[in-house]
Amino acid sequence: MERPAGIFDVRYEQDMAIVRTGPQWAFLIGFLILLAVLPVFAGSYFLGFMILTGIALIAVQGLNILTGYAGQISLGHQAFVAVGAYTTAVLMDSFHWSFWATVPLAGIAAAAFGVLFGLPSFRLKMLYLAMTTLAAQFIIIAFFNHAFPDYFHAVGGIRVSRPELAGINFKNNEAFYYVVIAIAVIMTIFAKNLVRGRLGRAFVALRDNDLASEVIGINVARYKLYAFAIGCFYAGVAGSLWATYYRSVNPLHFHLDVSIWYLGCLIVGGMGTAVGAVFGVVFLRVIRELVTIISPFLSGLVSPMDAPKIGPALAIISWALVVILFLIFEPRGLAHTWEVLKSRFRHWPFKYSI
Amino acid sequence: MAIFLQFIVGGLFLGGIYTLIALGIVIIYKSTRVFNFAQGWMVTLGAFMLVTLVEKFGVVIGVIGGIAFGALIGIVIERLLMRPLIGQPLIAALLLTIMLAHVIEGINILIWGTFGYEMPVNLPGQSIKFAGVVVSHALLWGIGVAVAAFAAFSLFYWRTLMGRVMRGTAEDHQVAQSLGLPVKGVFSLSWVLAGMLSVIAGLFLGVVSGVHYIMYGSLLGAIAVVLLGGIDSIVGAIVGGMILGVLQSLVTGYLNPALADVIPYIVLLLILIIKPYGLFGLVRIERL
Repeated sequence: MERPAGIFDVRYEQDMAIVRTGPQWAFLIGFLILLAVLPVFAGSYFLGFMILTGIALIAVQGLNILTGYAGQISLGHQAFVAVGAYTTAVLMDSFHWSFWATVPLAGIAAAAFGVLFGLPSFRLKMLYLAMTTLAAQFIIIAFFNHAFPDYFHAVGGIRVSRPELAGINFKNNEAFYYVVIAIAVIMTIFAKNLVRGRLGRAFVALRDNDLASEVIGINVARYKLYAFAIGCFYAGVAGSLWATYYRSVNPLHFHLDVSIWYLGCLIVGGMGTAVGAVFGVVFLRVIRELVTIISPFLSGLVSPMDAPKIGPALAIISWALVVILFLIFEPRGLAHTWEVLKSRFRHWPFKYSI
Repeated sequence: MAIFLQFIVGGLFLGGIYTLIALGIVIIYKSTRVFNFAQGWMVTLGAFMLVTLVEKFGVVIGVIGGIAFGALIGIVIERLLMRPLIGQPLIAALLLTIMLAHVIEGINILIWGTFGYEMPVNLPGQSIKFAGVVVSHALLWGIGVAVAAFAAFSLFYWRTLMGRVMRGTAEDHQVAQSLGLPVKGVFSLSWVLAGMLSVIAGLFLGVVSGVHYIMYGSLLGAIAVVLLGGIDSIVGAIVGGMILGVLQSLVTGYLNPALADVIPYIVLLLILIIKPYGLFGLVRIERL
């Protein structure tokens, strides 16, 4: 990794630090303060956008650990989000638990499901494993749709109320925003640190060549399950927040398309980088919002017969096309673009690039 | 007994449609090692195009035009999307076809909207009743075409020069290229074949169930068929298709229609756990 000129590491702590220089600290703290004061001057619509982005970010960080670092492609991530959402919803609805107690449990429940559906990864990889996660997507959603109607209420779904804590009511978006952003920031930092340690290095070795990594002493089966457990834990926490934000869960929310959208975020951002997940989620969320703003204008231009088609069609085409363009022209994603830009800036006016 | 046979017959028809979709996936996988997730959506696109063409130009020209359109779609996808990915990890190609499925779905909505269409094609012949079982002619056509396609592709792969070239290409792209095989031509050809097959599958699917932009159920089921039969096996496509079709039909009839929707995925999961390379797939041993 490249350093700004004149920065030399003289101790191991400096070499390992994520945040190295004064300006980096300044930017980081400035960014966190910006996040903290955002509700003061942002409207409710923008906060809703931020909350959904935060929830998606948590889920995508999990997928990044599972797919980006450990190389186990998951086409069923939204199903694990559903497990988390249903855990929270059922515990709050049928057993009257507090929301705060259900969040870690939602993560653990999703991790358990993840390990269960990750078991085939002992024998399978790549395409075949992707197909088992595809099966997981449909089987889990069908389970919520048809099993235990007393608890899951089938297609009707479960109503969830927003939590309260120490007199603060999280009914409005301003308060709930802090919950989501705080969890998202903590889990992003955790993800970033996790993959710098022993576990993360094992994941990367596993991704790059599973046979070779087994030869050098990594217990491939166990680390694959770790990847599933951690990745799905993130999904479960995201699901818990998802359920409370929408105030209801319903099998129809947890569609295959969303699982694939998460994968798209990962591709756009750049697989296997924590910052890439952030870029990817924000990028695709912004595109989605732009499409919702633009499509009414476009609908006005065409005949009334065609008008209702524009919105749903553009909503799908826009992001899928963006992901395809990234796959063809920049497979390393925005994270790589960001590194190139930084390098250009540092070497200016010389034309060095990494 | 008659009801049981009726379910079997219905299952065989469903299996025929599965086979036609699965064959497209197998053909592309066999020669390019790309798993075409979008095959089902190409079927939908082909079916929509057939509806429009047949309404405009009549059945014969419409169907021929539709198949030509399928070939065109195959070429366009191969040239614009798959060729730039040559040399990239195969998983990138899989992800690309997944995204392609969404783009095609969006295009379908954009052009044909969210309501269903009838396929304006009447297959010649009429239903026959045999030992208390109604066998519709669409069924015979569907199974007939599936078997014909199976036979044609088996002959093609094992008896013709181009078929051998395609099998060779599937083994290793770089080796094939250095032996002077037209690797790019093989890629184009397999996508063209898959595109044409998708239109034919769309025709039968449309005749039976109408055309609608959400046809996930049967389309994703084909993925289970491919893995059940073995991902690079043409025999597997037809046997797997029939097994899954009959199984799904029996579960719908005797157990629970809701369960029948997830049957393909349960089969998929079981086959992957028990026999990952499918019933007829080539078992590959990995070495360092």
